[in-house]
Amino acid sequence: MANLNVDSAKQRTYDAIVIGSGMSGGWAAKEFTEKGLNTLMLERGRDVKHNINYPTTNMYPWEFEHRGEVPYDIQQANPVISRCYAFREDAMHFFVKDTEHPYIQDKPFDWIRGYQVGGKSLMWARQTQRWSDYDFEGPARDGFAVDWPIRYKDIAPWYSYVEKFAGISGNKDGLDNLPDGEFLPAFPLNSVENYFSKVVSNNYAGRNVISARCAHLSVPQPIHIQQGRVQCQRRVLCQRGCPFGGYFSANSTTIPWALKTGKLTLRPYSVVQEVIYDDKKGKATGVRIMDAQTKQVIEYYAKVIFVNAAAINTNLVLLNSKSQRFPKGLGNDSGVLGKYVAFHNYSARISAEYDGEMEWTTDGRNPAGGGYIPRFRNVKKQETGFLRGYAAGFSAHRGMDTNSSGVGKNLKENLGHPTLSNWKVGSHMMGETIPKETNTLTLDTTKKDDWGVPLLKFNIAYDDNDAKMKQDYFEQMTEMFTKAGFKNIQTNDSKQAPGLDIHEMGGARMGNDAKTSILNKWNQMHACNNVFVTDGACMTSTSTQNPSLTYMALTARAVDYAVSEMKKGNIA
Amino acid sequence: MNRRTVIKNLALVIGGAALLPSCLHDSGKASIALKKINVSADQEKFLADVAETIIPKTDTSGAKDLNLHLFVLKMVDDCFSKKDQTAFMSGLDKLSKEAENRFGKPFGQCSQSQRESLLNELDHKQAEFYKAQQANKNAKKEVPADDMLAFYAITKGETVFGYTNSKYFMTKQIVWELVPGRYNAYFPVKNLKPNIKHG
Repeated sequence: MANLNVDSAKQRTYDAIVIGSGMSGGWAAKEFTEKGLNTLMLERGRDVKHNINYPTTNMYPWEFEHRGEVPYDIQQANPVISRCYAFREDAMHFFVKDTEHPYIQDKPFDWIRGYQVGGKSLMWARQTQRWSDYDFEGPARDGFAVDWPIRYKDIAPWYSYVEKFAGISGNKDGLDNLPDGEFLPAFPLNSVENYFSKVVSNNYAGRNVISARCAHLSVPQPIHIQQGRVQCQRRVLCQRGCPFGGYFSANSTTIPWALKTGKLTLRPYSVVQEVIYDDKKGKATGVRIMDAQTKQVIEYYAKVIFVNAAAINTNLVLLNSKSQRFPKGLGNDSGVLGKYVAFHNYSARISAEYDGEMEWTTDGRNPAGGGYIPRFRNVKKQETGFLRGYAAGFSAHRGMDTNSSGVGKNLKENLGHPTLSNWKVGSHMMGETIPKETNTLTLDTTKKDDWGVPLLKFNIAYDDNDAKMKQDYFEQMTEMFTKAGFKNIQTNDSKQAPGLDIHEMGGARMGNDAKTSILNKWNQMHACNNVFVTDGACMTSTSTQNPSLTYMALTARAVDYAVSEMKKGNIA
Repeated sequence: MNRRTVIKNLALVIGGAALLPSCLHDSGKASIALKKINVSADQEKFLADVAETIIPKTDTSGAKDLNLHLFVLKMVDDCFSKKDQTAFMSGLDKLSKEAENRFGKPFGQCSQSQRESLLNELDHKQAEFYKAQQANKNAKKEVPADDMLAFYAITKGETVFGYTNSKYFMTKQIVWELVPGRYNAYFPVKNLKPNIKHG
């Protein structure tokens, strides 16, 4: 960097740098810029502007060349991403192709990525539940990970803060294992979902089927209108990007809000190689990137740096940020960086049919997807042979049956006259996996990608606890389905590799003890106080709830703390 | 797409086709640009006759009106494995010869009932094959090994898939709505309009 003069360095200096523009990075940018800090947001992929770069959002099924199917050659070349449910012709442009960004699987791991402004917040499944004290206290009680440095009361106000801005639909259910939030009206359960809910609560103490809580504007509030968003239209084509801003994405919500302040510089095509640590100054001074298009290496500087690259890439960036002070990766005095990676287990499903409630069906589409069964195993005490538990989705629907046998006039007639089917019900498990030291991310010592960053190696697998938990899910759900009179009950073990749940967490976990964790209770590095991590990498354990809402809340809270520390002169 | 999807399309049936003809139309070749399979004008014509037999013109549009045979070719070219493409092309020729042998004239010149009887035979075999597969849950789901049946399974599946996903079908038969703007969780079945796609 010998050719850079002082003026140029000044132009490349900001108050804050945010690495990543997705679910948590968007919040970091919003919070910093609202507080008046000049902020640089670095995104490795291309720009995706709300309502401008959603190329398929208003397309009808017949307008797709292959009517939704992904061409054979693309599937063959990209076996990992082809296993993702949302990798279809309408949204495949938002997913990273395996071939373009390789990684090393010492054990199979389906790494699902979205490299663009907005990241995966564009294509997520939008389920948003708070965590409870049962989740934050879990590791201390069960001894399966280090103690969380925070409790529910620490984060509750921040959940409220982000919920009001993002717009979360749900009912006040009054459950202590799933705290209520600041809700917009819920999307109602249908006839069979309600029926099952009654059967479950009548037969089991502590088990509930509630309406799924989701980041959709069922009834927009003034703050949402101010963001330029309008009511969710129940299209359920969310993965294409929503022109209405009907669901929360960084593209529709936090990034435009941050841009409006005039304080945000958004730099797409910026592949972060490392956070720069200055051994003399004893702090991180900036970030080194390679421009993805020009291959130019550039340094940017700031007082505070938020790493929000998504859990696994955050580990990669930190592991690759080496200095004399931190030869094993930034902030990695404890040696735990890249270890204790955990995720959710979505490999179990159950389905059945129901021939009651036949006078009802549904009309339109439910963006919440149906019902949610909060974790009911080992909640108040350890009662099974496995640690922790699982939440589950539950939904019922009636489709149309079509007789497509034969050829000719009859067939044509039949295709135009489908008949209403009976109710089909289904559930999927969302199991908590235990963070283990052996579940690791490491850097390959020889192979690098096209942007000068070492390839990441995955050594992550299920264990016995996961197998026992899955067995229990099948048993309990079968029993509950049987009690409800559901017929033709079928269990399905997908045997999928970890990763396909898209809920990877940990590696740079929070904790009270710097010897066993990377981040303190403010998501701030124990050993480098001007670097914060608030994406999935920070998670000490995984709970059974979907994690995105917690990333949002932790991010807003951490920015608030960081800025107050800057004002006090503790971060300079 | 794989063979499993073909079967799924046969079983489920969702939704048509309209493809741009290739600008460089070389007579003797297929009328759309294909990257992998090599289809002659005669083969294309035969396929069009098969598709028209499956979805004939009545008082409403048929397969030829909707260019469903071109959709079938497009899908076979882009969404199937080499093995399936080979079986499709070989099965196409076999079925064409079978019609000539049986009726003494090209398939396209046969009566509707002759054409239907031949295809219904294959449809029946296809159904048996599918039933056997369902009974044996462990069996790998595949298109039949027999090329003629494989050709039929692919053509039927993609013709129906193309038809039920055509603009015609999705605006005039079973109306698919881009923006329902509603979710009624309790909707009386008696109020259901069967020609609206609700979910």
